[in-house]
Amino acid sequence: MVELKSLLLISIILLLPSPSRAQIMVEKEDERKLYAESKQVNQFFRRFNGEEDEKGKRYYPKDKQYRSVKLRKKYLGILFDEANAGIRNELKTEFAKNILDNPETAILDFHGPNWFCEVQTSFTMNEKTQPVTLYMELEKDHLGSKWVIQKVYAGMFQPYFVRDTTRIGRFLHPLSHELDFMNLRKAFLHSDSISQFATKRFVPDYLSVFLYEIKKGNLKFVSVENVKFHFFQIDGWYFELSDFNRPGYNTGWLISNLVKLNSAADKDVLRKYLFNETK
Amino acid sequence: MVKSTYLYMFFFILCLIGNLSAQTANVSPERKQAIDSLALEKVRDLSKYIGIIGNKKTAFAEATRVMDRAEELFAPESEMGVSSLNRKDIVYYKIRKYFERLMALNYDRVSIKWYEIHYISDLELQPDGRYVGVVTVYQRFEGESDDGLKYKDTTKKDITIYVERKKTQIAGRTVEFWDVMLGDIRVTETKV
Repeated sequence: MVELKSLLLISIILLLPSPSRAQIMVEKEDERKLYAESKQVNQFFRRFNGEEDEKGKRYYPKDKQYRSVKLRKKYLGILFDEANAGIRNELKTEFAKNILDNPETAILDFHGPNWFCEVQTSFTMNEKTQPVTLYMELEKDHLGSKWVIQKVYAGMFQPYFVRDTTRIGRFLHPLSHELDFMNLRKAFLHSDSISQFATKRFVPDYLSVFLYEIKKGNLKFVSVENVKFHFFQIDGWYFELSDFNRPGYNTGWLISNLVKLNSAADKDVLRKYLFNETK
Repeated sequence: MVKSTYLYMFFFILCLIGNLSAQTANVSPERKQAIDSLALEKVRDLSKYIGIIGNKKTAFAEATRVMDRAEELFAPESEMGVSSLNRKDIVYYKIRKYFERLMALNYDRVSIKWYEIHYISDLELQPDGRYVGVVTVYQRFEGESDDGLKYKDTTKKDITIYVERKKTQIAGRTVEFWDVMLGDIRVTETKV
Protein backbone atom coordinates (compact mmCIF):
# COMPACT_ATOMS: atom_id res chain seq x y z
CA MET A 1 0.00 0.00 0.00
CA VAL A 2 2.81 2.33 1.00
CA GLU A 3 4.71 1.39 -2.19
CA LEU A 4 1.66 2.18 -4.30
CA LYS A 5 1.35 5.58 -2.62
CA SER A 6 5.02 6.35 -3.28
CA LEU A 7 4.65 5.32 -6.92
CA LEU A 8 1.62 7.57 -7.28
CA LEU A 9 3.49 10.48 -5.67
CA ILE A 10 6.49 10.05 -7.97
CA SER A 11 4.18 9.90 -10.99
CA ILE A 12 2.46 13.14 -9.92
CA ILE A 13 5.81 14.90 -9.38
CA LEU A 14 7.00 13.78 -12.80
CA LEU A 15 3.83 15.04 -14.46
CA LEU A 16 3.92 18.45 -12.76
CA PRO A 17 5.13 21.28 -15.02
CA SER A 18 8.71 22.00 -14.02
CA PRO A 19 11.87 23.30 -15.68
CA SER A 20 13.29 20.58 -17.87
CA ARG A 21 16.52 18.85 -16.92
CA ALA A 22 18.13 20.38 -20.00
CA GLN A 23 17.04 23.88 -18.95
CA ILE A 24 18.43 23.40 -15.43
CA MET A 25 21.71 22.14 -16.93
CA VAL A 26 21.90 25.23 -19.18
CA GLU A 27 21.26 27.54 -16.22
CA LYS A 28 23.94 25.80 -14.14
CA GLU A 29 26.36 26.08 -17.06
CA ASP A 30 25.52 29.79 -17.38
CA GLU A 31 26.21 30.29 -13.68
CA ARG A 32 29.57 28.57 -13.94
CA LYS A 33 30.47 30.95 -16.77
CA LEU A 34 29.36 33.95 -14.73
CA TYR A 35 31.47 32.80 -11.78
CA ALA A 36 34.47 32.50 -14.09
CA GLU A 37 33.98 36.03 -15.46
CA SER A 38 36.08 38.79 -13.88
CA LYS A 39 32.94 40.79 -13.22
CA GLN A 40 34.44 44.02 -11.94
CA VAL A 41 37.86 45.66 -12.14
CA ASN A 42 37.78 45.19 -8.36
CA GLN A 43 37.60 41.44 -8.92
CA PHE A 44 40.50 41.57 -11.34
CA PHE A 45 42.59 43.28 -8.61
CA ARG A 46 41.57 40.70 -6.02
CA ARG A 47 42.24 37.76 -8.32
CA PHE A 48 45.56 39.15 -9.50
CA ASN A 49 46.64 39.66 -5.89
CA GLY A 50 45.12 36.37 -4.67
CA GLU A 51 42.64 38.00 -2.31
CA GLU A 52 39.41 36.04 -2.87
CA ASP A 53 38.07 32.53 -3.37
CA GLU A 54 36.48 31.27 -6.60
CA LYS A 55 33.01 32.38 -5.42
CA GLY A 56 34.23 35.95 -4.87
CA LYS A 57 34.47 35.73 -1.05
CA ARG A 58 37.16 38.10 0.09
CA TYR A 59 40.25 36.91 1.94
CA TYR A 60 41.83 39.16 4.57
CA PRO A 61 45.43 39.23 5.83
CA LYS A 62 44.51 36.91 8.72
CA ASP A 63 43.37 34.20 6.26
CA LYS A 64 45.84 31.49 5.27
CA GLN A 65 45.02 31.73 1.55
CA TYR A 66 45.40 35.55 1.43
CA ARG A 67 47.84 36.35 -1.41
CA SER A 68 49.11 32.75 -1.35
CA VAL A 69 51.37 31.85 -4.27
CA LYS A 70 49.21 28.81 -5.02
CA LEU A 71 46.09 30.94 -5.33
CA ARG A 72 47.83 33.58 -7.43
CA LYS A 73 49.22 30.93 -9.76
CA LYS A 74 45.71 29.56 -10.28
CA TYR A 75 44.24 32.99 -11.06
CA LEU A 76 47.08 34.22 -13.28
CA GLY A 77 46.18 31.47 -15.73
CA ILE A 78 42.67 32.84 -16.28
CA LEU A 79 43.33 36.57 -16.33
CA PHE A 80 44.52 36.85 -19.95
CA ASP A 81 42.42 37.34 -23.07
CA GLU A 82 42.95 33.89 -24.58
CA ALA A 83 41.65 35.01 -27.98
CA ASN A 84 44.57 37.41 -28.36
CA ALA A 85 47.30 35.56 -30.20
CA GLY A 86 49.38 38.74 -30.06
CA ILE A 87 50.43 37.95 -26.49
CA ARG A 88 52.95 35.13 -26.82
CA ASN A 89 52.67 32.26 -24.33
CA GLU A 90 56.38 32.58 -23.44
CA LEU A 91 55.81 36.23 -22.52
CA LYS A 92 52.80 35.34 -20.34
CA THR A 93 54.87 32.63 -18.62
CA GLU A 94 57.73 35.05 -18.01
CA PHE A 95 55.31 37.62 -16.60
CA ALA A 96 53.66 35.04 -14.32
CA LYS A 97 57.06 33.76 -13.15
CA ASN A 98 58.13 37.32 -12.36
CA ILE A 99 55.02 37.78 -10.20
CA LEU A 100 55.26 34.44 -8.43
CA ASP A 101 58.98 34.99 -7.74
CA ASN A 102 58.24 38.38 -6.19
CA PRO A 103 54.83 37.85 -4.59
CA GLU A 104 55.24 40.60 -2.01
CA THR A 105 56.14 43.40 -4.41
CA ALA A 106 54.18 42.28 -7.47
CA ILE A 107 50.88 43.48 -6.04
CA LEU A 108 48.34 45.75 -7.72
CA ASP A 109 47.48 48.71 -5.51
CA PHE A 110 44.15 50.43 -6.21
CA HIS A 111 45.30 53.62 -4.48
CA GLY A 112 48.84 53.45 -5.79
CA PRO A 113 50.39 55.39 -8.67
CA ASN A 114 51.34 54.06 -12.12
CA TRP A 115 47.97 53.05 -13.44
CA PHE A 116 45.28 55.03 -15.21
CA CYS A 117 42.06 54.65 -17.12
CA GLU A 118 41.38 55.47 -20.77
CA VAL A 119 37.75 56.36 -21.48
CA GLN A 120 36.61 56.64 -25.08
CA THR A 121 33.67 59.02 -25.23
CA SER A 122 31.60 60.81 -27.82
CA PHE A 123 30.67 64.49 -27.77
CA THR A 124 28.95 66.77 -30.22
CA MET A 125 30.76 69.85 -31.47
CA ASN A 126 28.76 72.13 -33.76
CA GLU A 127 26.19 69.32 -34.04
CA LYS A 128 28.78 66.84 -35.32
CA THR A 129 29.62 63.75 -33.23
CA GLN A 130 33.29 63.70 -32.25
CA PRO A 131 35.36 61.12 -30.35
CA VAL A 132 37.19 62.36 -27.26
CA THR A 133 39.57 60.27 -25.14
CA LEU A 134 39.69 61.04 -21.43
CA TYR A 135 42.66 59.80 -19.40
CA MET A 136 41.53 59.43 -15.81
CA GLU A 137 43.42 58.85 -12.58
CA LEU A 138 42.50 58.44 -8.93
CA GLU A 139 43.24 61.44 -6.78
CA LYS A 140 43.10 61.74 -3.00
CA ASP A 141 40.66 64.41 -1.88
CA HIS A 142 39.43 65.28 1.61
CA LEU A 143 38.33 62.06 3.34
CA GLY A 144 38.60 59.75 0.34
CA SER A 145 39.47 59.64 -3.32
CA LYS A 146 37.91 60.38 -6.70
CA TRP A 147 38.55 59.86 -10.41
CA VAL A 148 39.79 63.01 -12.15
CA ILE A 149 40.62 63.87 -15.76
CA GLN A 150 44.38 63.84 -16.09
CA LYS A 151 44.63 64.44 -19.83
CA VAL A 152 42.42 64.66 -22.89
CA TYR A 153 42.99 63.75 -26.50
CA ALA A 154 40.62 64.87 -29.23
CA GLY A 155 41.49 64.47 -32.91
CA MET A 156 39.23 67.40 -33.77
CA PHE A 157 41.60 69.79 -31.93
CA GLN A 158 44.75 68.46 -33.59
CA PRO A 159 44.67 70.39 -36.92
CA TYR A 160 44.67 73.66 -34.97
CA PHE A 161 48.08 72.90 -33.48
CA VAL A 162 49.89 71.42 -36.47
CA ARG A 163 53.12 73.28 -37.14
CA ASP A 164 55.80 72.70 -39.74
CA THR A 165 59.10 73.48 -38.00
CA THR A 166 61.25 72.43 -40.99
CA ARG A 167 60.30 75.50 -43.05
CA ILE A 168 61.43 79.00 -42.13
CA GLY A 169 57.85 80.22 -42.49
CA ARG A 170 56.53 83.39 -40.89
CA PHE A 171 58.18 84.99 -37.87
CA LEU A 172 58.54 88.17 -35.81
CA HIS A 173 61.99 89.52 -36.58
CA PRO A 174 64.44 89.91 -33.68
CA LEU A 175 64.15 93.70 -33.50
CA SER A 176 60.35 93.77 -33.38
CA HIS A 177 60.55 95.01 -29.78
CA GLU A 178 62.10 98.29 -30.96
CA LEU A 179 58.86 99.01 -32.81
CA ASP A 180 56.64 98.06 -29.89
CA PHE A 181 55.81 94.82 -31.74
CA MET A 182 53.76 96.76 -34.27
CA ASN A 183 54.19 93.78 -36.67
CA LEU A 184 51.95 91.67 -34.44
CA ARG A 185 49.03 93.09 -36.43
CA LYS A 186 50.30 91.29 -39.54
CA ALA A 187 51.11 88.14 -37.54
CA PHE A 188 47.55 87.81 -36.27
CA LEU A 189 45.99 88.65 -39.62
CA HIS A 190 46.26 85.05 -40.89
CA SER A 191 44.86 82.61 -38.35
CA ASP A 192 46.22 79.61 -40.32
CA SER A 193 49.81 80.53 -39.62
CA ILE A 194 49.39 81.76 -36.05
CA SER A 195 51.04 78.69 -34.47
CA GLN A 196 54.29 79.59 -36.28
CA PHE A 197 54.71 82.40 -33.76
CA ALA A 198 54.65 80.04 -30.76
CA THR A 199 57.80 78.62 -29.20
CA LYS A 200 59.23 75.31 -30.44
CA ARG A 201 58.71 73.94 -26.93
CA PHE A 202 54.95 74.52 -27.16
CA VAL A 203 52.88 71.45 -26.38
CA PRO A 204 49.12 71.78 -26.86
CA ASP A 205 47.09 71.19 -23.73
CA TYR A 206 43.89 69.56 -24.95
CA LEU A 207 42.42 69.42 -21.46
CA SER A 208 42.35 73.25 -21.29
CA VAL A 209 40.74 73.49 -24.72
CA PHE A 210 38.27 70.76 -23.77
CA LEU A 211 37.21 72.54 -20.57
CA TYR A 212 36.95 75.85 -22.41
CA GLU A 213 34.74 74.43 -25.16
CA ILE A 214 32.43 72.75 -22.66
CA LYS A 215 32.13 75.92 -20.58
CA LYS A 216 31.36 77.91 -23.73
CA GLY A 217 28.59 75.41 -24.46
CA ASN A 218 30.10 74.29 -27.77
CA LEU A 219 31.02 70.76 -26.70
CA LYS A 220 28.25 68.51 -25.37
CA PHE A 221 28.61 65.03 -23.86
CA VAL A 222 26.84 62.17 -25.62
CA SER A 223 28.05 58.82 -24.29
CA VAL A 224 30.86 56.60 -23.04
CA GLU A 225 31.93 54.21 -25.79
CA ASN A 226 34.68 52.14 -24.17
CA VAL A 227 36.75 51.89 -21.01
CA LYS A 228 40.16 50.31 -20.51
CA PHE A 229 43.03 50.53 -18.04
CA HIS A 230 46.80 50.78 -18.33
CA PHE A 231 49.05 49.38 -15.61
CA PHE A 232 52.72 50.16 -14.99
CA GLN A 233 52.57 48.91 -11.39
CA ILE A 234 54.49 45.67 -11.93
CA ASP A 235 58.15 46.57 -12.11
CA GLY A 236 59.51 46.08 -15.65
CA TRP A 237 56.10 45.38 -17.19
CA TYR A 238 53.13 47.13 -18.76
CA PHE A 239 49.74 45.57 -19.31
CA GLU A 240 46.39 46.73 -20.61
CA LEU A 241 43.08 45.66 -19.07
CA SER A 242 39.91 45.48 -21.21
CA ASP A 243 36.38 44.17 -20.77
CA PHE A 244 35.32 41.21 -22.92
CA ASN A 245 31.59 40.66 -23.26
CA ARG A 246 31.38 37.36 -25.17
CA PRO A 247 30.20 33.79 -24.67
CA GLY A 248 32.33 31.30 -22.78
CA TYR A 249 34.50 31.22 -19.69
CA ASN A 250 37.24 33.68 -20.70
CA THR A 251 35.24 36.86 -20.19
CA GLY A 252 35.04 40.11 -18.25
CA TRP A 253 38.08 42.20 -17.30
CA LEU A 254 41.14 40.51 -18.82
CA ILE A 255 44.70 41.43 -19.75
CA SER A 256 44.48 42.43 -23.41
CA ASN A 257 48.08 43.51 -23.97
CA LEU A 258 51.38 42.76 -22.28
CA VAL A 259 54.76 44.42 -22.85
CA LYS A 260 58.08 43.78 -21.16
CA LEU A 261 59.83 47.08 -20.42
CA ASN A 262 63.59 46.83 -20.65
CA SER A 263 64.37 50.39 -19.61
CA ALA A 264 62.89 53.64 -18.28
CA ALA A 265 63.08 54.95 -21.86
CA ASP A 266 60.81 52.08 -23.02
CA LYS A 267 58.30 53.07 -20.39
CA ASP A 268 58.46 56.72 -21.40
CA VAL A 269 57.92 55.94 -25.10
CA LEU A 270 54.97 53.71 -24.30
CA ARG A 271 53.35 56.26 -22.00
CA LYS A 272 53.62 58.93 -24.69
CA TYR A 273 52.13 56.55 -27.23
CA LEU A 274 49.19 55.79 -24.92
CA PHE A 275 48.59 59.50 -24.35
CA ASN A 276 48.78 60.26 -28.11
CA GLU A 277 51.71 62.56 -27.40
CA THR A 278 54.44 63.33 -29.90
CA LYS A 279 56.78 65.29 -27.64
CA MET B 1 7.50 41.87 5.28
CA VAL B 2 10.09 44.11 3.69
CA LYS B 3 9.73 46.58 6.56
CA SER B 4 10.27 43.90 9.18
CA THR B 5 13.35 42.68 7.31
CA TYR B 6 14.77 46.21 7.37
CA LEU B 7 14.04 46.49 11.08
CA TYR B 8 15.83 43.22 11.67
CA MET B 9 18.81 44.31 9.55
CA PHE B 10 18.85 47.70 11.26
CA PHE B 11 19.23 46.16 14.71
CA PHE B 12 21.64 43.57 13.38
CA ILE B 13 23.87 46.37 12.08
CA LEU B 14 23.43 48.32 15.33
CA CYS B 15 24.68 45.31 17.30
CA LEU B 16 27.73 45.03 15.07
CA ILE B 17 28.59 48.69 15.38
CA GLY B 18 28.97 48.34 19.14
CA ASN B 19 30.58 51.55 20.25
CA LEU B 20 30.38 55.12 19.03
CA SER B 21 33.95 55.49 17.89
CA ALA B 22 34.82 58.12 15.30
CA GLN B 23 34.59 57.13 11.64
CA THR B 24 37.72 55.37 10.52
CA ALA B 25 39.07 55.02 7.02
CA ASN B 26 38.95 51.23 7.08
CA VAL B 27 35.93 49.03 7.50
CA SER B 28 36.66 45.84 9.46
CA PRO B 29 35.92 42.52 7.71
CA GLU B 30 33.04 41.80 10.13
CA ARG B 31 31.50 45.21 9.56
CA LYS B 32 32.00 44.89 5.80
CA GLN B 33 30.14 41.57 5.90
CA ALA B 34 27.24 43.17 7.75
CA ILE B 35 27.13 46.06 5.27
CA ASP B 36 27.27 43.60 2.35
CA SER B 37 24.25 41.77 3.79
CA LEU B 38 22.34 45.02 4.10
CA ALA B 39 23.29 46.03 0.55
CA LEU B 40 22.25 42.63 -0.80
CA GLU B 41 18.96 42.90 1.05
CA LYS B 42 18.26 46.18 -0.75
CA VAL B 43 19.30 44.71 -4.10
CA ARG B 44 16.95 41.76 -3.49
CA ASP B 45 14.13 44.19 -2.71
CA LEU B 46 14.88 46.01 -5.95
CA SER B 47 14.85 42.69 -7.85
CA LYS B 48 11.49 41.85 -6.31
CA TYR B 49 10.06 45.27 -7.19
CA ILE B 50 11.33 44.97 -10.79
CA GLY B 51 9.57 41.59 -11.02
CA ILE B 52 6.28 43.10 -9.81
CA ILE B 53 6.51 46.20 -12.04
CA GLY B 54 7.36 44.08 -15.09
CA ASN B 55 4.59 41.54 -14.41
CA LYS B 56 1.70 42.10 -16.83
CA LYS B 57 -0.80 40.89 -14.21
CA THR B 58 0.13 43.72 -11.82
CA ALA B 59 -2.61 46.34 -11.67
CA PHE B 60 -1.59 49.89 -12.58
CA ALA B 61 -2.28 51.25 -9.07
CA GLU B 62 -0.22 48.48 -7.47
CA ALA B 63 2.64 48.98 -9.95
CA THR B 64 2.65 52.71 -9.17
CA ARG B 65 2.80 51.99 -5.43
CA VAL B 66 5.68 49.56 -5.94
CA MET B 67 7.51 52.10 -8.12
CA ASP B 68 7.26 54.58 -5.23
CA ARG B 69 8.72 52.00 -2.85
CA ALA B 70 11.46 51.09 -5.30
CA GLU B 71 12.39 54.73 -5.77
CA GLU B 72 12.87 55.06 -2.00
CA LEU B 73 15.79 52.63 -2.23
CA PHE B 74 17.75 55.10 -4.34
CA ALA B 75 19.78 58.20 -3.63
CA PRO B 76 18.42 61.32 -5.40
CA GLU B 77 19.48 61.85 -9.03
CA SER B 78 20.24 58.16 -9.56
CA GLU B 79 20.18 56.96 -13.15
CA MET B 80 20.18 53.77 -15.19
CA GLY B 81 22.74 53.60 -18.02
CA VAL B 82 21.58 50.97 -20.50
CA SER B 83 23.40 49.46 -23.47
CA SER B 84 22.69 46.39 -25.60
CA LEU B 85 24.68 44.05 -27.82
CA ASN B 86 23.45 45.93 -30.89
CA ARG B 87 23.93 49.37 -29.45
CA LYS B 88 27.12 50.25 -27.56
CA ASP B 89 25.98 53.80 -26.82
CA ILE B 90 24.67 54.15 -23.30
CA VAL B 91 21.11 55.41 -22.98
CA TYR B 92 20.54 57.18 -19.68
CA TYR B 93 17.22 57.01 -17.81
CA LYS B 94 16.11 58.45 -14.50
CA ILE B 95 15.16 55.59 -12.19
CA ARG B 96 11.45 56.38 -12.31
CA LYS B 97 11.50 56.60 -16.11
CA TYR B 98 13.22 53.19 -16.30
CA PHE B 99 10.48 51.61 -14.16
CA GLU B 100 7.78 53.28 -16.27
CA ARG B 101 9.36 51.91 -19.44
CA LEU B 102 9.51 48.45 -17.87
CA MET B 103 5.82 48.66 -16.98
CA ALA B 104 4.89 49.82 -20.49
CA LEU B 105 6.75 47.00 -22.32
CA ASN B 106 4.57 45.62 -25.05
CA TYR B 107 4.56 41.93 -24.10
CA ASP B 108 1.63 39.87 -22.90
CA ARG B 109 3.81 37.65 -20.73
CA VAL B 110 7.03 38.66 -19.05
CA SER B 111 9.39 36.52 -17.02
CA ILE B 112 12.17 38.12 -14.97
CA LYS B 113 14.60 35.78 -13.22
CA TRP B 114 17.76 36.52 -11.29
CA TYR B 115 20.82 34.33 -11.26
CA GLU B 116 21.96 33.19 -7.81
CA ILE B 117 25.35 34.73 -8.46
CA HIS B 118 26.35 38.15 -7.19
CA TYR B 119 29.61 39.99 -6.65
CA ILE B 120 30.26 42.72 -4.11
CA SER B 121 33.23 45.06 -4.46
CA ASP B 122 35.35 46.49 -1.66
CA LEU B 123 34.06 49.69 -0.09
CA GLU B 124 35.94 52.85 -1.04
CA LEU B 125 35.87 56.14 0.81
CA GLN B 126 34.63 59.15 -1.18
CA PRO B 127 35.84 62.72 -0.55
CA ASP B 128 32.61 63.44 1.41
CA GLY B 129 33.25 60.61 3.90
CA ARG B 130 30.61 58.26 2.51
CA TYR B 131 31.64 54.81 1.37
CA VAL B 132 30.82 53.60 -2.13
CA GLY B 133 30.70 50.07 -3.48
CA VAL B 134 29.32 48.16 -6.46
CA VAL B 135 27.12 45.07 -6.38
CA THR B 136 26.92 43.06 -9.61
CA VAL B 137 23.90 40.86 -10.32
CA TYR B 138 22.58 39.13 -13.45
CA GLN B 139 19.00 39.13 -14.70
CA ARG B 140 17.30 36.97 -17.30
CA PHE B 141 14.35 38.58 -19.10
CA GLU B 142 11.85 36.84 -21.35
CA GLY B 143 8.93 38.58 -23.02
CA GLU B 144 6.27 37.00 -25.22
CA SER B 145 3.31 38.53 -26.98
CA ASP B 146 0.12 36.75 -28.05
CA ASP B 147 1.08 36.96 -31.71
CA GLY B 148 4.12 34.78 -30.94
CA LEU B 149 6.75 37.52 -30.79
CA LYS B 150 9.45 36.50 -28.33
CA TYR B 151 12.36 38.41 -26.86
CA LYS B 152 14.92 37.32 -24.29
CA ASP B 153 18.13 38.71 -22.91
CA THR B 154 20.54 38.41 -20.02
CA THR B 155 21.72 41.64 -18.47
CA LYS B 156 24.49 42.39 -16.05
CA LYS B 157 23.51 45.03 -13.53
CA ASP B 158 26.30 46.89 -11.76
CA ILE B 159 24.58 48.67 -8.89
CA THR B 160 26.22 51.51 -6.98
CA ILE B 161 25.74 51.39 -3.22
CA TYR B 162 26.39 54.32 -0.90
CA VAL B 163 27.13 53.46 2.69
CA GLU B 164 26.87 56.11 5.34
CA ARG B 165 27.12 56.13 9.10
CA LYS B 166 24.08 57.87 10.56
CA LYS B 167 22.83 58.73 14.03
CA THR B 168 19.42 58.26 15.56
CA GLN B 169 17.78 58.61 18.98
CA ILE B 170 16.45 55.45 20.60
CA ALA B 171 14.94 55.81 24.09
CA GLY B 172 16.92 58.98 24.67
CA ARG B 173 20.22 57.44 23.63
CA THR B 174 22.12 58.41 20.49
CA VAL B 175 23.07 55.35 18.51
CA GLU B 176 24.93 55.14 15.25
CA PHE B 177 24.05 52.82 12.40
CA TRP B 178 25.11 52.16 8.82
CA ASP B 179 22.62 53.06 6.13
CA VAL B 180 22.79 51.80 2.55
CA MET B 181 21.29 53.61 -0.44
CA LEU B 182 21.35 52.46 -4.04
CA GLY B 183 22.78 54.77 -6.70
CA ASP B 184 23.42 54.68 -10.45
CA ILE B 185 22.98 51.33 -12.18
CA ARG B 186 24.84 50.30 -15.31
CA VAL B 187 22.85 47.76 -17.32
CA THR B 188 24.79 45.81 -19.94
CA GLU B 189 23.31 43.14 -22.16
CA THR B 190 25.64 40.22 -21.81
CA LYS B 191 26.51 37.12 -23.83
CA VAL B 192 26.69 34.09 -21.56
